[in-house]
Amino acid sequence: MFSRWNWVACGFYLVLNICSPDASGGLVQSCGHIIPESPVLALGSNFTALCILNESCLDFGNIYANQIIWKIKNRVVPKEQYREINRTVSSVTFNDTSSLATPLTCNILADGQIEQNIYGITVTVGLAPEKPKNLSCIVHQISRFTYVMTCTWNPGRHTFLDTEFRLRYSWPEEVFPDCIPKGVNNSCTVTDIQFFVNTEIWVEAANALGKAESDPLVVDPIDIVKPLSPQNVSVSSGILPTVLKLSWENWISDAVMTLKFNIRYRIIGDTSWMEVPSEDTASPRTSFSVQELRPYTEYAFSIRCMKEDGVGYWSDWSEEKTGITTEDQPSKGPPIWRIIDASHSPACWTVHLMWKALKPFEANGVILQYEVTVRDKSSLSSPLKKYNVTSTNHTLQLPKGTYEVTLIARNSVGASPPSVLLIPESNTKAPVKNLRTLPKHDKLWVGWTAPNSYVLKYVIEWCLVSSSSDCIIEWQIALGDVQGIDLKGIKPFKCYLITVYPLYADGQGSGASVKAYLKQDRPSKGPTVQTKKVGKAEAVLTWNHLTVEEQNGFIRNYTILYKTIDGNETVVTVDPSKTEYTLSSLTSDTLYTVRMMASTDNGSRTGPDFTFTTQKFGKGEIEAIVVPVCLAFLLIVLLGVLFCFNKRDLIKKHIWPIVPDPSKSNIAQWSPQVPAKHNFNSKNQMYPEGSFTDVSVVEIEADDKKSFSEQDLKPFDLLKKEKSTSEGHSSGIGGSSCMSSPRQSVSDSDEGETTQNTSSTVQYSTVVLNGYRDQTPVQVFSRSESTQPLLDSEERSEDHAGGADSAAQRQQYFRQNGGQDENNIDRSCFERAKQITHADEGDLVGFVQLQISGQSSQPLGLGMAKNTQEAALSNILQACTEGQAVRPETVEENPLPVDDMPKSYLPQTVRQGGYMPQ
Amino acid sequence: MAAADSPSTALRRRDLCSRGIRLAGKMRADVVDLLDTYVEQQGLDASATVAAMEGVPLAAVERWDEQTGTQRLLENLAAYRAFRTLLAQMLEEQREQLGEADAGLGRALAAVLLQVSAFTYHLEELLGLESRGIPGEEGDGPPPPPRLSLFEQKLRGLGVLRELAQWAVRSARDLRQLAKPSPATGTAPGLAESP
Repeated sequence: MFSRWNWVACGFYLVLNICSPDASGGLVQSCGHIIPESPVLALGSNFTALCILNESCLDFGNIYANQIIWKIKNRVVPKEQYREINRTVSSVTFNDTSSLATPLTCNILADGQIEQNIYGITVTVGLAPEKPKNLSCIVHQISRFTYVMTCTWNPGRHTFLDTEFRLRYSWPEEVFPDCIPKGVNNSCTVTDIQFFVNTEIWVEAANALGKAESDPLVVDPIDIVKPLSPQNVSVSSGILPTVLKLSWENWISDAVMTLKFNIRYRIIGDTSWMEVPSEDTASPRTSFSVQELRPYTEYAFSIRCMKEDGVGYWSDWSEEKTGITTEDQPSKGPPIWRIIDASHSPACWTVHLMWKALKPFEANGVILQYEVTVRDKSSLSSPLKKYNVTSTNHTLQLPKGTYEVTLIARNSVGASPPSVLLIPESNTKAPVKNLRTLPKHDKLWVGWTAPNSYVLKYVIEWCLVSSSSDCIIEWQIALGDVQGIDLKGIKPFKCYLITVYPLYADGQGSGASVKAYLKQDRPSKGPTVQTKKVGKAEAVLTWNHLTVEEQNGFIRNYTILYKTIDGNETVVTVDPSKTEYTLSSLTSDTLYTVRMMASTDNGSRTGPDFTFTTQKFGKGEIEAIVVPVCLAFLLIVLLGVLFCFNKRDLIKKHIWPIVPDPSKSNIAQWSPQVPAKHNFNSKNQMYPEGSFTDVSVVEIEADDKKSFSEQDLKPFDLLKKEKSTSEGHSSGIGGSSCMSSPRQSVSDSDEGETTQNTSSTVQYSTVVLNGYRDQTPVQVFSRSESTQPLLDSEERSEDHAGGADSAAQRQQYFRQNGGQDENNIDRSCFERAKQITHADEGDLVGFVQLQISGQSSQPLGLGMAKNTQEAALSNILQACTEGQAVRPETVEENPLPVDDMPKSYLPQTVRQGGYMPQ
Repeated sequence: MAAADSPSTALRRRDLCSRGIRLAGKMRADVVDLLDTYVEQQGLDASATVAAMEGVPLAAVERWDEQTGTQRLLENLAAYRAFRTLLAQMLEEQREQLGEADAGLGRALAAVLLQVSAFTYHLEELLGLESRGIPGEEGDGPPPPPRLSLFEQKLRGLGVLRELAQWAVRSARDLRQLAKPSPATGTAPGLAESP
C-alpha cells in the first residue's frame, strides 16, 4: 500500500518537474536533456545521442538512466541500441541516419509503467552539396549599352537541406559582388559586365554539411556575347530586276566588337529559306545587295549577327522585312494546247485554244495581254490572223486544215518568247507506247514509252470521269525528253481518264489513253441484283453496273452469294463486264437469298439481299402431264360415245322411257275423228324442217297414220329423229314443254338451254283412274312436278306393255287419257314452248291473235259442245295455265279461221287434278 | 623586355595587347558617351575649356615614337592608376550630389572605372611579361585633391573624362606598338607612328 502511494507521488513529482515553472526562470524544468541539440546529420552516417538526467530528478523522482526509453517519432528504438553510461546518462546509437526521424525523444518508464517524456530533439538529415558542374555563361545584349551575363550550372544532387549557391567572379585585382540566385539554384544573372578582361567565374554551393566550388570558368565576357539582332532592317529595289538592297542598323558599336552577318531570304509563300553566302557578309557592314533574285517577286529578308571572329553566339534573326523586285519581260511563252470540236460539221472545226498562265517566275511581271497568231499552213496565201486576248483561252472557227498557232505573253516590260502549237489536219503520227500510271503519295505518276521518232513535247490530258457530267479536261505539257510526269491535284477514289499525245515537229501523234485511280477504295455500294427469270433448277440474275462514282476503284470482279434459308452459302465469281448470270443446279420450289458483291483492289461492298423461289415444275412438265391427260380424257369420251352409240337401244330402253302413243289409246280409238291432221299440217307450215333442234317429242304412232298425208307426217319424222338425240333429256311427255316457262322459252334463244330446262324438269304423269261418265275408269296420268325416275308401277306398266309392242302400250296409254282434242292441246303446249322462238314474228302475232280468238271462240267453235264441256275446257286450260302460266302465244295452233277449225272431241270428264292433255 | 620571348609569352603578350587595344577602344567610346551624359547632367557647356588640373595625367607627350615599350607601359600604368583614383573620387562626389536620383550616370561612371581598373590590370600583366617589376602604388595613391567647390568639382570631372578619352586613344596606339613583332630588345624604339 505504501509502495503504491510512493509511486503515485513520484509520478506526480515528475509531472510537476516538467510542468511547473522553474525557479531559474524557465517555464519548464526538465528532468534531463539530449546531446547534441538538434543536429544536422549526413545521410548514411552513424549518430549517437546522449540523454542526461538531472540529479534532482534522481533524488526525488527516483528515476535512473536504466529506465530511459528512446523513441523516434513515437516508435521505440530497440534496446540493443541503448547504452547506459552511468546512472544518469543513456546513449542511443544509430548506424545509419537514414533510419532517423524527427523527433528523437528521451523518455522515462516510471514505476507503474507510466511513460513520461524527458526531452526531445529535432534531427535533420541531409547531404553535403556536390560540386556544381557544367558552368557556362552567356552575355546577352539588352540594349545598345547594356549587357547582362547569365551563368547556368548543374547544382548536383538534392541535399535535403537549405543549400546556398553563389556565382562568384573576379579579376585578378578586383573582386565583384557575388551573384545569388533567386528562386532557383542553377543559374544567376550578372548585370555589370566588363569586356576585354578575363574574368574568373565560379559557383559556390554551401549548406550545414559543407561547401563545394565548381571549376572556375575564365572567360572574357566579350567572347560570350549574344548581341541583339540588327535593327531597322529595310529592303529597297534596285535598278536591276534581280537585285534588292538590304539595309540595317547595328546595336553594338565597333568599339565593343565588330560583327559579321548572316542574311537569309525566301519568296513570299515559300517556307524554305535561302542564305547569302556567309563569306559575303563576314565583315562589318550595315547594308548588302542581294542578287540573282527573280524579277517581280516578293521576298522576305531576315538578318542576324555575331562577333566578327566567330567567338560568341549568333544573335536571333531579325524580324522579316519584305521587298519586291522590279518587273522583267516574261522568260518563256505560255504552254498552249487545243481542243478541236468537229461535231457540228466535219469540214469545219471549232478550235478551243487554251493556254496556261505563266508562273510568277516566268511571267516576271503582270501579263497585260496575250497575242494569238493563227497561220493556215495548208494555204500559203492566206493571211495571218492575229488576236489580242486577255484571258487564257480563245475559240476559233476554222476550216479543217493544218494550222500553226503562235502565242506571246506581254507585260509592261516586254514580250515573251513565242509558244508555237501545230494543229495538223489529222493525228497520223505514232502514239506513245506502254502508257501506265503509278500513285505516288498525293500525286499520280503517268509514264510512257517514247515513240521511235523524235518528240518535241508531250501533252498529257486528264479528266475526272463522271456519270453525271462531262469530262472537264485538264492538261499539262511535258518536254520531249521525259517519259513520265506527276499529275497534281488528283483526288483519291476518283477515276481519271488520262490521254497522252506526242507532239512532233511536223505533226501530232494520236492519243493513248488509260484510266487510273490515285487511290482506290472499296465500292460505296454493292450491286442490286434481281432475277430476270426463275426456273425449276436455275435462275437468271441480272444487275446494273455501278456508276463510276460508286465504284471507287476498278471493279475486279463481281461475286454472287446465294443460299437457301438453311443451306450453306454458295459463292460465284463473275467477270466485271457481265450484267447477267445464270445460277444452275438449284433446288426446285426453294426460297433462295442472293446478294452480290463488287470488289475493287481495296475491298468489297455487298448489295442488298434479293430472294426468289424456284419453280415447282420445270418448263414443259405441266404440258407433259396435261396434254396426255386431256388426250386420254378425250379418248375416253370418244370411246364412251361410241359405246353409247352402239348400245343406244339398250340405253334408250333404260333411260328414255317409252311413252305410250296417245293416238293408240282407247280414247283415241274411241274418238270419232282424228283432228290432228290439221295440226300437223299447220305445224308443218309453221315450223319448217330443220327448225327443231332440241325438243321434247312425244312419239305418236297413230294407227291411223295413214290418215295423215306424207307432208303432214314429215315433221313427225323429224321429231323422231330429234327424239333419238334428246331422249335422255325429255320425259317423253309433251307436258314437259308446258312445264318450261313460256317466258323463258321466249327469251331464251338457246335451244340447248331450253332443252336442258326441259330435261331438268322431267315430268311424269300419274294415271288417275277415273271413269269417263259411265265408262270404265281409265287410268289417267296426272302430271307431277317430281323429277324422280318413273315409279316402278309405271315402269312396270310400261314393261308390261313394252318390248316389241311398246307402240301398243302407248296406244293404250293415250287411249286412256284423251282424245284428239287432248292431243291437240297437248301438242299445242308442247309446240308453243319449243317453237316460239322459231316462229315468225308476224306469224307469232297472228298466232297469238288466233289463239286468243280460238280460246274465246272455242265454245263457239264447239258450239255443239255442252256447257259442261266449257268447264272441262276451262279446267284443261287452267291445268295448262297452272303449270306453264299459259300465255296466248303458247298456242301453236295454226291460225286457222274458226270456221276451218276441225271439229274435235274433247273428253269432258277429266276432273280437276287429273291428267289434262295439253 | 626579355631578349627572346618564349612562344607562350609572345602569345600571352599578343593576347593582352589585343584585349588592351579593344578595351581602350571601348573605354574611349564609353567615356565619350559618358562625357555627353556628364555635361548634360552637370549642366556644363560641352565646349567649355578646362585648364590642366593637378593630379590629372596628360596624354600628350613629346617624342612619343621614341619611347620604349616599357616606358610606354609604365607611363600608361601611372596614368590609369591616377584615373582610377580620380574616377572613384568622382563617383563618390556624384553619389553625394545626386544620390540615387541619377543612377544612370553613376552606373556609367562605375563602368568606366571598371574599365580603367581592367586596363590597369592589362598593363600590369604586360609589365610582368617584360620581366619588370610592377611598381607599387605610391602610398595610398596621389595626394587627395584640395577641397573644391561644387562647380570646380564638376569642371574637374569634365577635365578628367576628357583626358581619359585622350589617354584611351594613346594607350591603344601604345599597345599596337607593343604588339608588333619586334626581334630587337624592348629598349628599341618602336616604329614611328603618329598618335
